[in-house]
Amino acid sequence: MSSERSDAAGSGQNAAGETPATDAGTVTEATTEHDDTQLERTIGLTGGLAIGIGTMIGAGIFVFPGLAAENAGLAATLSFAIGGVVALLVALPTSELATAMPRSGGGYYFVSRGMGTAYGAIVGLGLWLGLMFASAFYLVGLGHYAGAVLAELGVTLSFSPVIATGLLFGAVLTAVSIGGTENTAAIQNVVVAVLLVVLTGFLSYGVLDAAGVFGSSSAPETFFSQGYFPVLSTAALVFTSYLGFAQVATVAGEIQQPGRNLPLAMVGSVVVVTVFYVVTIFVATSAFGAERLGQFEETAMVEVARDLLGTPGAVAILGAGLLATFSSANASILSASRAVYALSRDALLPRKASEVNLKYGTPHVALLAAGGPILVLVATGQVELLAEVASFLHLVMYGLMCMTLLVLRRRDPEWYDPSFEVPGYPVVPVVGALASFALVAFMQPASVAVGVVVMAAAYAWYRYYAGSVVLEGAI
Amino acid sequence: MTDRPSILVPVRVLEGESIPGGVPKLLADAHVVLLGYHVLPEQTAPGQARLQFEERANRRLAEFEDLFEGAGATVETRLVFTHDGQQTIDRTIREQGCVAVLAPNATGDVEDVLVAVRGTVGADRLTRVVAGVFGDRGVTVTLYHVTGQGKTDEDAQTLLDGLRGRLVELGVDPDHLATRVERDGNVQDAIVAAAGEYDAVVMGESDPSLATYVFGLPADKVAERFLGPVLVVQRERPSDGEDEDE
Repeated sequence: MSSERSDAAGSGQNAAGETPATDAGTVTEATTEHDDTQLERTIGLTGGLAIGIGTMIGAGIFVFPGLAAENAGLAATLSFAIGGVVALLVALPTSELATAMPRSGGGYYFVSRGMGTAYGAIVGLGLWLGLMFASAFYLVGLGHYAGAVLAELGVTLSFSPVIATGLLFGAVLTAVSIGGTENTAAIQNVVVAVLLVVLTGFLSYGVLDAAGVFGSSSAPETFFSQGYFPVLSTAALVFTSYLGFAQVATVAGEIQQPGRNLPLAMVGSVVVVTVFYVVTIFVATSAFGAERLGQFEETAMVEVARDLLGTPGAVAILGAGLLATFSSANASILSASRAVYALSRDALLPRKASEVNLKYGTPHVALLAAGGPILVLVATGQVELLAEVASFLHLVMYGLMCMTLLVLRRRDPEWYDPSFEVPGYPVVPVVGALASFALVAFMQPASVAVGVVVMAAAYAWYRYYAGSVVLEGAI
Repeated sequence: MTDRPSILVPVRVLEGESIPGGVPKLLADAHVVLLGYHVLPEQTAPGQARLQFEERANRRLAEFEDLFEGAGATVETRLVFTHDGQQTIDRTIREQGCVAVLAPNATGDVEDVLVAVRGTVGADRLTRVVAGVFGDRGVTVTLYHVTGQGKTDEDAQTLLDGLRGRLVELGVDPDHLATRVERDGNVQDAIVAAAGEYDAVVMGESDPSLATYVFGLPADKVAERFLGPVLVVQRERPSDGEDEDE
C-alpha cells in the first residue's frame, strides 16, 4: 500500500480561471486522509465485484447472442472468448495502476498522470461520453426486452415500445439518481446475485440439454460457418459486453483495502463474466443453430429459454434481462458521475459540472449532463452503432492505460508504488494495448468514424478550454 | 487530569446539527473526539463533496471545538465524508480508542446522573467513564439496576455496591453516590421511566443480537425516548481486529 504523502497538484488554469485541485492525500485501508479530513472507503470486495459484474452482464449477454450468431455462426462462442481474453489482458495492467492510484476517475486518472494532460483529456472526456453511449445501448436493449415482455403478455401497441421504454427508463434513472438513493449498492449486490443464480440455473440446464441428457443431442454445425474474419469483427461488436471491469477503477477512491480488493474485483469480474458469456453462446447456438438464432435478433435469448424450459423459462430470462440492463445502466451512471468529478477537479471541465447540491447530496449538473445526451442517443435506437462507439471509446482508453503502465514502469517516478504488479510484464500490457487497438480496426467504418469525431471533439475542447493545464505526474 | 476518558461526539455537521446547550459543560472533564461527518448518496464521490463543503464544515466544527474547549474539555476534531455514517462512527471509535459515545441532546446544568448497570461485564469501562466525566464535579451519580427473574434484590445490591466501591477508589466522593434497584419487566422502559428524574444517562452498549438488528440497539432507543444526553459506553473491542468486507 502506498501510504506516503504526495500533494503535488497539477498546474496551469483553464479558460474559466480554475486550477486543478488535489485529490491526493494519504491512502489507508479504510480512508483517504487530507489532514483532519477523511474520505471514508465504503465499498468492499462484494460491492466491487457487483459493480464489475453488474455493469458487464448487462444488456450484452441478452442482446448479443442473436446478433453475434448471425454474424459469425457457431464461432461466435470464440468471439466472446476473444473478448474475454482481451478484457483480462487489460484488467491486469489496470489493476496495477489502480493499486498505485486508488482515486476517483479510474482510467482517466491513470492516463492523465502517466502520459500527460492531452491524452488524459481525450480519455477522460471519451470515458464520460463512452459511458453515455454504453448507457444508451443498455437502455435500448432494455426497450427490446420490454417489447418482448409486452408481446409475451399479448399486448399489441400501435407503435414500437422499444425506444419509448428506453427513453422512459432513462429519464426515470436520471431523476432517481438526482434525487439521491441510499442503498443503491445493496440493491446492486442483490440484483447481481439474483441474476447470477437465474443464469446459472438456466445455463446448467442448457448445457445438459446440449449434451443430450434430455433427449436427442443437438446437431453439431460447422464451427466457422461464416469464415474467420467475422469472428474478429464480432469480437469487436460484442466487446461492449466487457466494458465494466474498468468501472471498478472509477470508484477506486471508495474501495476498502484497495491493494487487495481492486485487483480481485477487476480480474474476478472479468473471469466470471467470460465464463458466463461463453457458456451462454454455446447453449444458445446449440439450442437452435446459429442461423435460426440470428433471425431472432435482439431477443434471441427469450426464444432459447422458451425452447429449453417453456414459457416460465422465457419469463425468467425476460426478468433477468430487465434486471441486468437496469444494473448496467445504473452502474454506468455512477461511474459517469465519478468521471465528471475527476475531470472538473482537474479543471478540464468547469467546476460547476461536479457541483453537489446540499439538499439531495448529488451532483445534479453532472447527472443531467449525462442523462440528457443519453436520451438523445436512445432515440436513435441504433443498437449496434451505440455498442460499437461505446466499445471504441473504451478500447482507446484501455490501450492507453496499458501504454501508461509501460511508461510508468520505465520512468519509475517516486510516487509509483503499486501493491499489485502485473504478471508477465512487459508482454501482458504490450499485448493488451495491441489487442485493444486491433479490435478497433475490426469495427464497422461508421462506428469508427463517430468514435474518431468524438475523440477529436474531446481534444479540441481540451485545447480550447484547458490548454495550459498540466497534470502529468501530479498524483 | 491525564486519564480523561475519550468521548466521541458525532455531529452531522452539514445538516444543521449542532451541539445542544449544556453538552459542552457535561463533557468539561473529558477528552472530546469531535466527529463531524457528512453522509452522501452513492451517486456522489466523497472527494467531490470535500471539494465543495470542506471549508464550510470545518468552520462549523471550529465553532463547536471552541464551545467544548471553552467549557474545559480537550478536543480533537475529525471531518469525514462518507456513504455510511455508522461505519465511520465505528471506525473512529476503534481508531481513537473512545470509551463512550454521546448521543447529544440538550440539557441544563447537570446535577444528577442515572447510570444504568447491566452486570459485571463492562463494569470496568463504565466506572472509568463515570469517574472521569462526573468524578470531580459534585454531580450526584445514581447507580441503577433492573433485576431480572431469578435474581434477588440482594444480588443487585451486591453488584451496585461493588461498582460503588470501585468508583470511590477512583476518587469519587461517596456522598455523591446513590444506588437504586428496580423490578420491571422491560429494562428499556424502566430506564426511560427512571431517566425522567435525571439530567443525563450513562449506559452500556448492548451486545449485538438478533433482537438489536430488528429493533435497533437499546441504547439508541433510550436516546431517542429520553430527551436528555445519553453517554453510551462502548464494549471492549478486540484490538486491531482485521475487519472483513462490509
